[in-house]
Amino acid sequence: MALLDITDLQLSMKSYEGETQILHGINLKIERGEIWGMVGETGSGKSLTGLSVSRLISTPPGRYLAGSIQFQGKDLLKTSDREMRALRGRHIGMIFQDPTTNLNPVFRIGTQLVDVALHAGRTDPSVLGLSAGASRRDFKAAARKTAIEALESVGIPDAASRIDDYPHQFSGGMRQRVLIAMAMIGKPDLLIADEPTTALDVSVQAQILRLIHELVAERNIGVLLITHNLGVVAQICSHVAVMYRGRILEAGPVLDVLKRPSHAYTQALLESVPTVHTRRGELRGLSGLSPEMFV
Amino acid sequence: MTAESQIVIPARDRSSRRENWGRAFYRFRQSWLSVVGLAIVLALIVLAVAAPYIVPHPEHALGVTNTAARFQPPSAAAWFGTNELGQDIFSLVLIGSQVSLFSGLAVVVIAIVVGTTIGAIAGYFGGWIDEVLMRITDLLLTIPSLILAMAVAAALGTGVFNMIVAIAITWWPAYARLVRGEVIGKKEEQFVVAAHALGAGWVRILSRHILPNIVSPIVVKASLDMGFAILTVASLGFVGIGVKPPTPEWGTLLSGARSYMPDYWWTAVAPGMAIFLAVFAFNLLGDGLRDVLDPKARR
Amino acid sequence: MVSFILRRLLLMIATLIGLTLLLFVVARILPGDPVGLAAGPNATAATIAQLREQFGFDQPLPMQYWTYLTGLLQGDWGTSVFTRRPVFSDILAYLPATLELVFAALFLAIVIGIPLGLLTAVYRNGVLDYATRTLALGGIAMPRFFLGLLLQLAFAAWLGWLPLAGRFPFIEIPPETVTGFYTVDALIAGDMYAFRIAAAHLALPAIAMALSPLATIMRMMRASTIEILQQDYVMTERALGLSNRLILFKYVLKNAMTSTLTVIGLYVSWLLGGTVLVETVFDWPGLGLYATQAILTQDFMPVIGVTLVIAIIYLLTMLVVDVLYGVFNPKVRYA
Repeated sequence: MALLDITDLQLSMKSYEGETQILHGINLKIERGEIWGMVGETGSGKSLTGLSVSRLISTPPGRYLAGSIQFQGKDLLKTSDREMRALRGRHIGMIFQDPTTNLNPVFRIGTQLVDVALHAGRTDPSVLGLSAGASRRDFKAAARKTAIEALESVGIPDAASRIDDYPHQFSGGMRQRVLIAMAMIGKPDLLIADEPTTALDVSVQAQILRLIHELVAERNIGVLLITHNLGVVAQICSHVAVMYRGRILEAGPVLDVLKRPSHAYTQALLESVPTVHTRRGELRGLSGLSPEMFV
Repeated sequence: MTAESQIVIPARDRSSRRENWGRAFYRFRQSWLSVVGLAIVLALIVLAVAAPYIVPHPEHALGVTNTAARFQPPSAAAWFGTNELGQDIFSLVLIGSQVSLFSGLAVVVIAIVVGTTIGAIAGYFGGWIDEVLMRITDLLLTIPSLILAMAVAAALGTGVFNMIVAIAITWWPAYARLVRGEVIGKKEEQFVVAAHALGAGWVRILSRHILPNIVSPIVVKASLDMGFAILTVASLGFVGIGVKPPTPEWGTLLSGARSYMPDYWWTAVAPGMAIFLAVFAFNLLGDGLRDVLDPKARR
Repeated sequence: MVSFILRRLLLMIATLIGLTLLLFVVARILPGDPVGLAAGPNATAATIAQLREQFGFDQPLPMQYWTYLTGLLQGDWGTSVFTRRPVFSDILAYLPATLELVFAALFLAIVIGIPLGLLTAVYRNGVLDYATRTLALGGIAMPRFFLGLLLQLAFAAWLGWLPLAGRFPFIEIPPETVTGFYTVDALIAGDMYAFRIAAAHLALPAIAMALSPLATIMRMMRASTIEILQQDYVMTERALGLSNRLILFKYVLKNAMTSTLTVIGLYVSWLLGGTVLVETVFDWPGLGLYATQAILTQDFMPVIGVTLVIAIIYLLTMLVVDVLYGVFNPKVRYA
């Protein structure tokens, strides 16, 4: 049984102009220990795929036309809201693009971390190192301890005192670490990272990617890393799926796909990546591609 | 892509200004509440203008009494009933709309003229002029406006004009603040700098280049304020300062009716509903105008 | 923070001194003859001159102002020409009634308006949303005094559930004064009978005053909640499994409060300045009626006094609002 098995996922969205199909049958299988990179242009549906796994797309305006999302053998599209909430934070962690807007600015980071820890602990007390019958006070104390450990594990120095700081007292890279700590605090089996490094500068990007890589090695989790940056994929992903207009054009181990792209779009995508050998004026873009050309 | 598809440039038969108006009107119509507001406002204006010709008992608004018909409940003859003097309340309320609408409008206009002048000068010149003008403005803003208006109106003596002046004194500071902020914002814009470079004087720059560009927020505030100005006029009437009988004014009518509650409740309901309706309509209209003229403030 | 508050208090004193000067000058520019009115129509010129001397009106204006200003600091806020009573003690006597009314109205507006704003934002475009929004539009346009009359008609005259007017019946014994708020004092004294009487009298005027702030607070809260709900961090909080209730009443509420706070602060002044309307309807013995009486006799010492008190409360409220800003938004620096 795969950790995550998406089959033929079809999603449409309703807007004022009518209903548009966004996802045209996504198939994807993620095992523990794998880091799947999902690449594609803006609007290709990669973020919506990620949000679908956490079932964070409101229906309506969204509507699933077909398909299933099996997580540890359970179809997420058929789970109740209550069960789904128990999975979030505990079994499925998520981090998003912009660390400056994803932390609630008016709360200490500890407040938010502790609340997530408490939520995960309520679902499974072992996350906090407690047994089922533990008292409220034990829960609170354990949640705070777990939160500090989580901050330490993502490399926040002096975590025990910084836990009482507000988001604006952290740098962008540090905030993304805090968000990763928050996503990992419930010891999830699957981490969905939606453009986790896009808003960061290059040196910080590398640190964050290394951190995610270490977490996978250490805890044997599966990762779905959504990005538009092929460089990121080449750096840390074990597998890659290339998305275009709501379809996965090509998927497989990262070396196979990047070395021997079988699809014209992937080739074009790879050619548009600038390298040190790219001369001035040679920067390529992808223009005017209609889906019919590839599908 | 097929061969038949051609790019067709639509013929422009309307000027861009008219197009803008069309678009604004479309946006205004999107919200049916603002259309309702506009309709009520227009109806009120028409009624106020036509009132002397259509009321059943114009003489009652001049102080004529008919004690034989005191406290008649609403009926086909007297739609809103009659009051303690036997006067037809429908006639009084209808004529009263003239005072309310006129004084509301006058208050807002005076407040705009005074406030805009002071705010524009403060914002344009800055420095100590700004300091002095704004300190005075802020001081006035800390005074409860209703009490100030009451005190000034009482000291000036009764009468519509005195009441208008008294309320306007408390209303201009808000416009001064608004205009000052807008002027400071526009002062640095390229077209103002250009006008300055061409040698235009400050009066010309303010009146020809800056003020026309800040009309929208003033209009929005004014339309919202119309309702509250009418409310303030009625409030003064209600506490017994302001327009005195026999001139019918909604607040004064309501104040008189209070003594005959609860038995003759209709004497209060008609003027009260009139105030409510007028304020309500101008609020709706103002909300709608804000959506059209000030898209940034849209929620 | 302490230095911020101290600086603001100093600024406040400067503002108040400026305000007394402004009021003093305005009171003298305006036509009106308080002494003549107080002395009555049959007074001789000599009596009037004597009265003017007694109240110091024969002194030059700067001299009069100086006397007033130095007196203010010693708790002498002047004397009413009409009643010959000291203004300060009169204000102290009337203030609690007004404040009780204002606080009760504000309490109602906040306790109902904030949750309603949150809920209508969540269930946007639902039945509750449309119903409350329409009511809110009406609530803002409803004159307080007319609403008061309607409430009297419905709940006092027709249903007979609540008293028509007044603050406390003369035949009953009011609770011992601690705060001056009858409801609070009755609770302190443990006198439930008196509390019920006080609360019954308070209910209608408080509702009449509360409707407009309630509607505004609700609209403000709804608008800012809708904005906050679209923020990225709300998505993160949902994605990590926090319950909707926790997100709404803890994480969203605190963010949405900042803009609503300003509105609440401004309403304190609006309510204080407008109590006169509701006090007139309900014969509520407060500052508003006191001020009206003074205004009608052009007795300006009490008017200046009432204005000063309201300005002081207004400035203090804005200070509290600014301090609370820091509580709700840690990014605020007290500079």
